[in-house]
Amino acid sequence: MSTATKNIRRSPYQAFSAIFIVSLTMFIIGIFGLVTYASQVILNNFETKPQIIAYLKDGHTTEQVGGLLGSLNNTEGVKEAVYISKQDALELYKKSVGNDPVLLGTVTDWGIVTADILPASIEITAEKPESFKNIATTLEKSDIISVTPAGKKEIDYPQDVISELTKWTNAIRIGGLVLVVALTLVAILTIMTIISMKISSRRFEISTFKLLGAKNIYIIKPYLQESVIYGLIGAFVGWLGCFVILLYSTPFLAPRIGSIITFPIPFLTYAILFGALMIFGFIISFASSLFAATRFVNRSK
Amino acid sequence: MIDYIHVSKSYPNGNVVLDDVDFSVSPGEFVIITGISGAGKTTIGRLLIRDLIPDKGKIIVEGTDLSKIKPQNAPILRRKIGFAFQDFRLLPDKTVGENVVIALEIAGYDPKKIEEKVKHTLSLVGLSGKENLFPGQLSGGEVQRASIARAIAANPPILFADEPTGNLDKETSLEIFKLLQKINSDGTTVILATHDVTLINLNVGTHIHLEKGKIVKQEKHSSSKKEEKD
Repeated sequence: MSTATKNIRRSPYQAFSAIFIVSLTMFIIGIFGLVTYASQVILNNFETKPQIIAYLKDGHTTEQVGGLLGSLNNTEGVKEAVYISKQDALELYKKSVGNDPVLLGTVTDWGIVTADILPASIEITAEKPESFKNIATTLEKSDIISVTPAGKKEIDYPQDVISELTKWTNAIRIGGLVLVVALTLVAILTIMTIISMKISSRRFEISTFKLLGAKNIYIIKPYLQESVIYGLIGAFVGWLGCFVILLYSTPFLAPRIGSIITFPIPFLTYAILFGALMIFGFIISFASSLFAATRFVNRSK
Repeated sequence: MIDYIHVSKSYPNGNVVLDDVDFSVSPGEFVIITGISGAGKTTIGRLLIRDLIPDKGKIIVEGTDLSKIKPQNAPILRRKIGFAFQDFRLLPDKTVGENVVIALEIAGYDPKKIEEKVKHTLSLVGLSGKENLFPGQLSGGEVQRASIARAIAANPPILFADEPTGNLDKETSLEIFKLLQKINSDGTTVILATHDVTLINLNVGTHIHLEKGKIVKQEKHSSSKKEEKD
């Protein structure tokens, strides 16, 4: 290890550039990982919520509801269809406002919030967003679905939101992946170049080691250690960057996506990110230096 | 212990450096190989550590035919042979002690015993107290001693010293020669390649003389047997 640290001290600018590139790569990977995770959580949140809500006319019968549920269950793409009565709707409302007496006593356009003013509904979870239209068609045919003054059936489904979100999530994944692959390659090539330069400048030392009977692993060990130091420091700095960015963006993010993602970010998330970046930093630095050093040592006499 | 059996070696430029060289070295023997520059002395050493491969013939070390050793196993062979190089090959940015440590690390010495072993080896070659000096801070004789110290540190059964008295004065050359004799008396087989006439005239051990890659004289002084080749 002392040889590795000595090598780093001998050429601080090379060490700095290697650490800088690895840090940048790890930072981007960390941010990309977090954004991918967050977008997946947001998407899951949308997907796991009842995706289609059809409001029912007052005065519907249990048989009519049973009939509609039956035809929905026979519709392709329906994962679950649940009847929400007026009383259930009030309970859900109370839950969402946290039994706040002020909110519960709010006078709305329809008067004080009671079970009577809330419509009964059927909440449907689809297997995939592509099934929304098919499900909506089944609902359109039902007579117990309430109608807006404009003569349109009251069926809500966030088709556009989910398809937009899916599109963005996929774009983030693909774009991020391309960026990560490109940066990882740059980091690998930078480490390989630096290690190759260092090892080739010590040609005499290496040939002496070989003549004294050193195995390749003895010769390349300090270079592997040096490279792993770059990788681990780079991963730590990259993680630190992610940590600081997240910390400072929490006041901005919390009001916007706080209901979906817990803020402040739990310690475990930071710990997992730290572990993942350290492992990745170790792997790329070790692999690139192993390749560069072995190639040189095998070629030297 | 070491057998060179009809060994020939040429370099890519066509220069024949060894031509049908045939000799044996017994365990514990002291062999002096002489000849002018280019006679093939260094090539004999390089063949011994498998730094070169003979074109013809074979070399057997402790029963192993070197031509049958795979390149990746060459380090195992090299650890059995201490090599004091003509150009010393001491690492200039490492101290004398660190240079010796390298040989011990390569040989797989117990790290706890290395420090003690370095001190012992340096005292053996007369370099006690100089372990923290760099090669550039040593005299010619001291550099040579440091090179020998590194070669013998891991107690190899064979020591090949290539021109160890090359640029040294007569007195220092004799000191180095005595050191090699001392190492030999401890049981190490010593092969000394030299063009130094004063050492040849000491009539010690087995003397092999090379001319243009051929052995032209081979005589054993220690056993009083004389064997000459023309």
